[in-house]
Amino acid sequence: MGDKKKISMTVITLIIGFMTAIQFQTVNEPIIRDTRDTSQLREDLVKDKELYLSLVQEIRSNEERIEKYETERLESKEQVLKETLREFKGEAGLEKYEGPGIVINILPVSEELLLGETVEPISPYLLHALINELNRFGASEISIADQRWINISVIRDINGITKMDGFPLDRFPIEVKVAVDNMDTAEKLYNQMQVSDSAEEFFIQNFRLSFSTPQPIVSIPAYKDTIEIRNMELADTEKGG
Amino acid sequence: MWLPVLGLIIGLLLGFSTDIQIPVEYSNYLSIAVLAALDTLFGGIRANLQGIYDEKVFVSGFFFNIILAASLAFLGVHLGVDLYLAAVFAFGVRLFQNIAVIRRILLSKGSSKKQKIYFKKRE
Repeated sequence: MGDKKKISMTVITLIIGFMTAIQFQTVNEPIIRDTRDTSQLREDLVKDKELYLSLVQEIRSNEERIEKYETERLESKEQVLKETLREFKGEAGLEKYEGPGIVINILPVSEELLLGETVEPISPYLLHALINELNRFGASEISIADQRWINISVIRDINGITKMDGFPLDRFPIEVKVAVDNMDTAEKLYNQMQVSDSAEEFFIQNFRLSFSTPQPIVSIPAYKDTIEIRNMELADTEKGG
Repeated sequence: MWLPVLGLIIGLLLGFSTDIQIPVEYSNYLSIAVLAALDTLFGGIRANLQGIYDEKVFVSGFFFNIILAASLAFLGVHLGVDLYLAAVFAFGVRLFQNIAVIRRILLSKGSSKKQKIYFKKRE
C-alpha cells in the first residue's frame, strides 16, 4: 500500500467515522439518567402542575373571549335587524318623526265669521293640492291635525264632512305639520310656501294659511292604524334580474 | 494497514466529542451517505487486494456515491416514494459482494501462505 493510498484511505475512514458518530448520536438520543430524588421530583411536579393550571386558565379565558365575541356578533345581527325594521317603520310612517320643519295653520277667514256665514268644510281637493305642493318642495313627513299622512292615506268627503283616514277635519284651526330633512330645506320650504298658489286657493274658499317660521324640531306623530296591504304580493326573489 | 483504522477511530471520537446532532428529518440522508461511504471503502479495499486500485476512482466514487445517494433520498422524499430504499438495497448488495470477495481473497491468500510454509518444511 503506497503512502498516497494510505492517506486517502485514512481520510475516507475518518469521514466515515465522523458521519457514523453523528448518525449514531442523532438516532440514539443520549439517555439522561434521572437522578432526582423524591423532593426534587415533587418540586418538578408542582412546577409542571402550575404550568398546566396556567395553561388551562389561558385556554378558558380565550374560550370565554370567543364566546363573548360570538354573542356580540349575534347581538349585532339582531341589532342590525332591529335598526332595519325601525328604518322601514320610519319610512312607512309607523314611527314618530322629529325633525326641522314648519307648521301651517289652516283658519277660516275671520271676516266671513263676522258676517254671520257658516264655515264650509275644507275641501279634500284643497288639502290634496297643499300636500302635493309640500311634497314638491321637499317635505318628508306630513301630519294633518295630528294624523300622520302616509302613502295610503286618503282625504275624502264623507257625508259632507271632510275626513282623513276616517278622522274628521272639521275643527279649526287645522294644524299641518311638515318635517323636512334639514334646516336649509325647511327655510326653502317656508319661502316657497309664502309665495305658493295654495294660499290663494285656500283664500278663495275662505281659508287662510298661516305659516310658522322654520323650527328646528317639529314632531310628527306615528300612523295610528294598521296598514293593510291587499293588492300586494311577495316578489319572486329568485328570478330577479 | 493500521492507519485507516486509526482514521476511523479518530473520526468516531471526533464525531462523539463534538456532540453535533442533525435534525431527525435529515438522518435518512446521513444514514444513506454512511452506507455509500462504507460501500466505497469496501470497494476500495477489494480493489486494493485485487491489485486494480485506482486513486481517482476511489476518491471520486466516494464523494459521487454519497451525493447520488443523498439526492436520491431527497428526490424520494419529494416524490413521496421511498427512493432511498433503492440506494440502501443497491449499496447493501454491493457491500455484501465486496466483503465476500475480500473474504475469499484473504482466505486464498491465507491458504497460499500455509502451502508455502508446508512446502518450505518439506524442503
